[in-house]
Amino acid sequence: MNPLPVTDADLNAYADGQLEASRVTAVEDAMARDPAVAAWVADARRQNAGLRDALDPWLAEPIPERLLAAAAGPAAAAQGTVRRWLAPLVAMAATLLVGIGAGWFARDFDLERAGTPTTFTRQAALTHALYAADANRPVEVWAPEEKRLVTWLSKRLGFAVNAPDLNSNGFALVGGRLVAGHQNPTALFMYENSDKQRLSLQVRKQPVDGGEVAFRYAVENGVGVFYWIEDNCSYALSGNLDRAQLLAVGRVVYGQLAALEAAHSK
Amino acid sequence: MSAVADPPLPQPDLLAAIPRLRRYARVLTGDINRADDLVQDTLARAWEKRRLWAAGSDLRAWLFTIMHNVFINQRALARRDQQQVSLDDGGEGDEAWQIPVRAGQYTRVELVELVEHVGRLPADQREVLLLAAVEELKYEEIALALAIPVGTVMSRLSRARAKLRSAFADAPAGSAALKVVK
Repeated sequence: MNPLPVTDADLNAYADGQLEASRVTAVEDAMARDPAVAAWVADARRQNAGLRDALDPWLAEPIPERLLAAAAGPAAAAQGTVRRWLAPLVAMAATLLVGIGAGWFARDFDLERAGTPTTFTRQAALTHALYAADANRPVEVWAPEEKRLVTWLSKRLGFAVNAPDLNSNGFALVGGRLVAGHQNPTALFMYENSDKQRLSLQVRKQPVDGGEVAFRYAVENGVGVFYWIEDNCSYALSGNLDRAQLLAVGRVVYGQLAALEAAHSK
Repeated sequence: MSAVADPPLPQPDLLAAIPRLRRYARVLTGDINRADDLVQDTLARAWEKRRLWAAGSDLRAWLFTIMHNVFINQRALARRDQQQVSLDDGGEGDEAWQIPVRAGQYTRVELVELVEHVGRLPADQREVLLLAAVEELKYEEIALALAIPVGTVMSRLSRARAKLRSAFADAPAGSAALKVVK
């Protein structure tokens, strides 16, 4: 019996990952038979990925005070005179409630207003918080496609990047994504352990020659970040782990990258 | 109405939704300031209508619904005013928007182009594309949020994708590797 012909609706749903299971084979057969169909699907997926790359950076923009006030509800908004100092309180309350995530944006807003520069460390912690908490799509390309992930990221960053193997620390690769940095794009690799704790390693080309920097450690809103520079690349390892745990992982990452570097330069 | 009648909306979820609401609003209005006005109106409306939100259900999807309704109401009002003023507008012009990105936000030319192409889509296609491709809502959720049949969601999505594809058809195949010259 022939399956129902594949429709535009099937192809859209397939590309968006929401096609009902009973239709998947029909679509995959059609893709195998007809290169034009396969190309259509690949193109739709590329569009989706491009749109997310283009529009995700908007999510990290600081939230205006008036919107924080509006979110606090009419009771708070009615107190017009207290609104100015209320907004940071709302932000703080949110930070306390959810730790990272929602409150983060508000906090960053306060910091920027206070003139605190946004550093790579803070950016890394923010990006980690944003994606580690994302249930649907923490990464763009998942671990089973590690080879494609590494090739893609290396191409986009303009230099070879690698996903270190952290299995010895109990962390398996979840996948990775490209993050729009302020000056240079950043590669992000995400890892997860059996307790569902997530770590991310972010790598980008250092915009200016920053020289060598030994391991530096900072805590940004509960997210620990190890940060170092090596061969004109900045690395940031972020996670909700304590310093010792994070440092242990950081050493492994550093060691693997150094070994790789030595192998290449031979 | 008693003071305890309506429980407040959950603050963390509401705050977490703001960046996504702002993004949706910016895609709808094409203007950073108007987008934030729309978000503010949406939040106010959400507080007014909080009784209608089923606690435990997806707050984000519900807020998208409210924003869509506020937006089409405002646009209908604006249209009515506009008709009395001038008819010699450039036809498509009222739908298309300028690219509302911040300076230095992108290092990749093709992303800027992609956003520009999205801006040239009619608002109804833009909206479906954002909700499906970027927010990853199910087609059924989108249909509910926009109060249209699922079939309409699909056809708008197909049309939006076809337009983006044809917009890129004349771009060189390797354009994905283009970088902004500094």
